[in-house]
Amino acid sequence: MDKKALQTLAYCMAAVFLLVGVVCYAAFAQKAPESPIRIMFKNTGGNVLFDHKTHLSEDGYGISCSDCHHDIEEEGDTPAACSECHTPDGEEAPKRVDVLHEQCKGCHDEGGSGPVECGQCHTM
Amino acid sequence: MDNRKLFVSSHAPYWHNGSSIASKSYNIMLAAIPAVLMGIYQYGAPALGVITFSISCAMIWELVMNLIMKRPISIGDGNAAVIGLMIGMLLPAATPWWVVLIGTFLAIVVGKQIFGGIGCNPLNPALVAIAMLFLSWKGIMDFNEALLNYELGFPMVYPLSTLKYFGVEAISEFSAGALLMGAQIGGIGSTFGLGLIIGGIYLILRGFIRWEIALSFLAGVFITALIFNAANPDVYAGPFFHLLTGYTLIGAFFLSTEDSSSPVNFIPMLIYGALAGFLTVLIRNIGAMVDGVVFAILMLNLANPLLDKIRPKALGKEMENA
Repeated sequence: MDKKALQTLAYCMAAVFLLVGVVCYAAFAQKAPESPIRIMFKNTGGNVLFDHKTHLSEDGYGISCSDCHHDIEEEGDTPAACSECHTPDGEEAPKRVDVLHEQCKGCHDEGGSGPVECGQCHTM
Repeated sequence: MDNRKLFVSSHAPYWHNGSSIASKSYNIMLAAIPAVLMGIYQYGAPALGVITFSISCAMIWELVMNLIMKRPISIGDGNAAVIGLMIGMLLPAATPWWVVLIGTFLAIVVGKQIFGGIGCNPLNPALVAIAMLFLSWKGIMDFNEALLNYELGFPMVYPLSTLKYFGVEAISEFSAGALLMGAQIGGIGSTFGLGLIIGGIYLILRGFIRWEIALSFLAGVFITALIFNAANPDVYAGPFFHLLTGYTLIGAFFLSTEDSSSPVNFIPMLIYGALAGFLTVLIRNIGAMVDGVVFAILMLNLANPLLDKIRPKALGKEMENA
């Protein structure tokens, strides 16, 4: 193949791939599922990767939504963000770190299974 | 008197054997297809989007630089497309479009064109881009965080991250066979071990990459990991785990073998590959980062000019491996 043909091929390739790339990004934009699969809790002590789906699923730990999301009254309700009720000017809100520690470690302690040491959850 | 003939040549006209940079580039892309297809099969359209957008952006940056620098148009040689493909293969499927755009800019403009274009880059352009993206946007290059919304039927945690933070016990859920078949999260085209090995063997057999670099890199990883593992198997993972996870295989066959940033002589090639493998495991086992391939190869890229001075080929002397 001579130089000109190679250049033409490259132009065509760049154009086609650009089109495919733009279409993939535009038409198949990734949407977060309604019920999260995994959640990354970012914090200064080392991020925690929480497997939401496994905790929820019947094949996994099978816990109900309201066990963690205390504002949920019926299964299937979407939980509200903490700050929707615990406003800065309202009564003293519990710290996020204490709540999450209490919920995770508390449940693991109670059930006698699951990680409770720092380095078992936090990527330190 | 020494009667050996130092220069053996025939008269013109010569016949070109048909080899070219373009044929090399397209063969590298061909060799990468199994690994890329597996990534697209696993992650679907988003992975296809990252790969195709990365290739096209790299080619466009090359064209733009050609025009700005008033140099001959060089996208026909396919080198920019290969660099774009490599970046796409190293990125997670959920990479935003602007990261791909910046990454390809860093590779083509900062990593390659400002040094003078193909053959003049001291570092592997794709790795320059990935290193800068990693240092700038950690969350995007953290596979655990980037791929939160995918469920593919195998452990959806990055194996090297699990090893680093939760120890050898935690990696028991990864079997060597599953890792080889791509049952792990990571870069789009860097998780399907078997595909990368097949692509690598094809490139070695066709003479497009040097087996000395690829095999010495793998040997460096294997031996170093074996020594660590033998010293303390409770803390350090075995050599096969290191060979089949992270960027090891794509690093051995597609990244460390990049032409202008790797040595050309036999002994330097072996040292280059082995040291890069050694450094990879060192960074993984006792360094701060989860994977060490990117920085290990970049470090050895820097050492490349010095390494090539070890027993250089005398002018006119025939050498088997040079």
